[in-house]
Amino acid sequence: MEDEQSFSDICGGRLSLQRRYYSPTCREFCISCPRLSLRSLTAVTCTVWLAAYGLFTLFENSMILSAAIFITLLGLLGYLHFVKIDQESLLIIDSLGIQMTSSYASGKESTTFFEMGQVKDVVINEAIYMKVIYYLCILLKDPVEPHRISQVVPVFQSAKPRLDCLIEVYRSCQEVLAHQKATPASA
Amino acid sequence: MVENSPSPLPERAIYGFVLFLSSQFGFILYLVWAFIPESWLNSLGLTYWPQKYRVVMFPIYVLVVIAIGCVLLFGINMTSTSPLNSIHTITDNYTENQQQKEYQEGAIPALRDIPISEVNQMFFLTAKELKPKAKSYID
Repeated sequence: MEDEQSFSDICGGRLSLQRRYYSPTCREFCISCPRLSLRSLTAVTCTVWLAAYGLFTLFENSMILSAAIFITLLGLLGYLHFVKIDQESLLIIDSLGIQMTSSYASGKESTTFFEMGQVKDVVINEAIYMKVIYYLCILLKDPVEPHRISQVVPVFQSAKPRLDCLIEVYRSCQEVLAHQKATPASA
Repeated sequence: MVENSPSPLPERAIYGFVLFLSSQFGFILYLVWAFIPESWLNSLGLTYWPQKYRVVMFPIYVLVVIAIGCVLLFGINMTSTSPLNSIHTITDNYTENQQQKEYQEGAIPALRDIPISEVNQMFFLTAKELKPKAKSYID
């Protein structure tokens, strides 16, 4: 069962949340950010090339122009491969764990997995990030001391959706976690 | 109790007047140092003054220190803000060792730090019936 809704992020940009409901104990949430726009790409390229042309007229060295082209190409490739995240997804499986995947614009995917024994809870926390924002995070517990929170892992870090989107994801996750607490898996 | 109140007292009036006189005297002294030439002051016998250059330097220095202090304070606040993945946004070493007092009927419950899971459940899981009222406050 699939469901798609559109929300906005903390800066006002559009985001799209896709919810996939595989079973009562397995759900996936994908947040897609808008793709790299042609307008911003053209603007950055024009500024870099105009600055390089300005330097060229100052120093009369044609290496500056070739260096500018090279830098623009490398910069674009590096940005697409290391910085621009197209889609972030959170997969929660009752007895197994929670998996977070980030897919970059160049096709690279980076995944993090936490097994259910480590996960204490999934909560919405508020913190200061140039202003007060709400963000969803996974609380991990120590195997030695299960009542203490050992680590906080924020999710949807580059998409940064607003509270309405986070509440939807939070409620779904809590349903799955409640199911998991009601039927504890055998160690 | 009486010593800590902000009401006017005779001692405070005296302190205020002393401060007023000394600041006026300091200002007149600064003007004398700034405008009267070195030779006249030397002829009066007052020879141990700082260089005249410092007359201009002191006000500019103080203003620049104040301006940089504003920027520095903002920067210190930014660096001491915990990042989003820090445990300090959720708990503290005091809250982890807090003791629970048993609940007495009819009394106000003891002050304690409520764990974030409970707070979340109260706000986001049970708020379906409160939603029309709470909606305007949520970003």
